[in-house]
Amino acid sequence: MITQKIIPMSMVPFFTLVKKEVKRFMKVIVQTVVSPIVSSFLYLLVFGVSLGNSVTLKSGVPYLAFLIPGLMVMGLINNAFQNSSSSIVTSKFSGDLEDIRVAPVTHNQIIWAMGFGGIIRGGMVALITGIVGSLFHLMQRGELLLITHPFWTLYFVITGGLIFAFCGIFVAFLAKTFDQLSAFSTFILLPLTYLGGVFISVENLHPVWQTISHFNPLFYLINGFRFSVLGVSDVDLTTSVIVTLIAVGITYSMAQIALKKGSFNRW
Amino acid sequence: MNALEIKNLKKTYIQNADKKVEALKGINFEIKQGEIFGLLGPNGAGKTTLINSITTLEKPTSGDIQVFGTSVLEKPLITKKQIGIVHQEVINTGFFDVLEILDFQSGYYGLANNKTRIEYLVKKLALDTHATKKIKQLSGGMKRRLMIAKALVHSPKLLLLDEPTAGVDVELRESLWAFVRELKNEGISVLLTTHYLEEAEALCDRIGIINKGELIFCGTPREVIAKYSTKKISLKTKDGKQHHFVDSASKELSEILQKNQISFADIIDIQITEGKLEEAFTKVVNL
Ligand SMILES: Nc1ncnc2c1ncn2[C@@H]1O[C@H](COP(=O)(O)OP(=O)(O)OP(=O)(O)O)[C@@H](O)[C@H]1O
Ligand SMILES: [Mg+2]
Repeated sequence: MITQKIIPMSMVPFFTLVKKEVKRFMKVIVQTVVSPIVSSFLYLLVFGVSLGNSVTLKSGVPYLAFLIPGLMVMGLINNAFQNSSSSIVTSKFSGDLEDIRVAPVTHNQIIWAMGFGGIIRGGMVALITGIVGSLFHLMQRGELLLITHPFWTLYFVITGGLIFAFCGIFVAFLAKTFDQLSAFSTFILLPLTYLGGVFISVENLHPVWQTISHFNPLFYLINGFRFSVLGVSDVDLTTSVIVTLIAVGITYSMAQIALKKGSFNRW
Repeated sequence: MNALEIKNLKKTYIQNADKKVEALKGINFEIKQGEIFGLLGPNGAGKTTLINSITTLEKPTSGDIQVFGTSVLEKPLITKKQIGIVHQEVINTGFFDVLEILDFQSGYYGLANNKTRIEYLVKKLALDTHATKKIKQLSGGMKRRLMIAKALVHSPKLLLLDEPTAGVDVELRESLWAFVRELKNEGISVLLTTHYLEEAEALCDRIGIINKGELIFCGTPREVIAKYSTKKISLKTKDGKQHHFVDSASKELSEILQKNQISFADIIDIQITEGKLEEAFTKVVNL
């Protein structure tokens, strides 16, 4: 139980919003936890196991091990985005976003609470995917897949969670219909994730696509995360760290703009 | 210092490039501390727009709003703490129950540990047997009561009630108004809108009548009745004749009798129907 003695009064709205986010996604646990288990299980089965034996990577990493961090970071991204965007959109629909607007809650409190909600839900899904993947790895290759650089894994969970939670805020506040929201997922988020190297290493791509990939910020997040798990990846850690930090800054500003320009009013 | 001051408030909605709605056309009035002020007006008059401007849900096109001397436009974080709002439309979140909703609401206002107040309100508004129900499991009247409890978790000094009794049965309506009177006695200032004019007449210290974005009248219910409604007199005189007079409600009986050349001594029966707010309201709105 959070008490007033521990937290200054000005922080209470922030913690309240985080608590609300967590309680909310825990109530749709099937969607948040069970469905990523099922989908990562299927991906691992179809790609990791069946294709795994025929695909070899130049770095010498077995495909199954390559795929697991990719799936983890994909779960992180999708769920961080889902969490903030669907939270805002359903709140617009029910009208309880107006409660927040009317209360003395600052934009920063809203943005960071949504960001934290994204980290928590995205991180949970990444963790579960990692556990499922690791067990798969144990069955297939006789050993668990363990994280090489846990600190950097945490770093990318936090930055990745924030980036996509902020993106979710941006889209949800500016969207006027459900259509606009799903258009963003389908036409921007999905291609960027798939082309960012979740399933394949860029070294296997045509040189043109390799060049294009380097302009995709997700490429650095996905490969930075993969590096933290496997110890090897397509880009070096420093570049990944810098690019993700810049992306946090940019998406944070986008979220700020969206709250200023967007509407809290009910649909 | 007034609880609320509305200064030359204008709001124009821009629906699209060539369609603009002037919802508020320069409104001025104030609510004194501890006063119950009723804002009356037909559908589309601009009542909700005015209330939403006070809570910052809508941004005024021009003018100013001050809550206990602080401008809503300049320092919203200060004024928001002093305001409690019950919206015209009920929120409908499907995730949380009554206690959770009140707990979150307290949190938004910086109150991490608000159990005592929540318990008091839940009991006061007869929600205690429904405390663990979700909104969609509540009846319309219970939802209203929840909205009111929600507006009061942080003990606001200015309460805004946008048609709190719409779709509420007679008994609950009466108990809600009794509750509003109690709040007034605690020193809370109230701005309410309602379409039940008799209740507004009985409850409000002052009323404002708004139509098409303009405040046409502002004063006590008595004043508006005196100015705009009529007094109907039916009487029987000693000679057995029936007389009916209709005159301005502001006129005194003796004046009306004198005008019609009837002396008190001749009257054997008399019936006076005093003006009602409803009549005055209809007249004002159709001016
Ligand atoms: N978001 C909006 N966009 C455009 N026009 C609006 C908007 N909200 C309200 N209006 C218009 O502004 C005017 C005032 O509406 P408002 O909701 O303030 O009326 P009201 O007095 O609360 O009416 P009611 O008694 O029906 O609740 C109406 O003409 C309405 O159509
Ligand atoms: Mg209204």
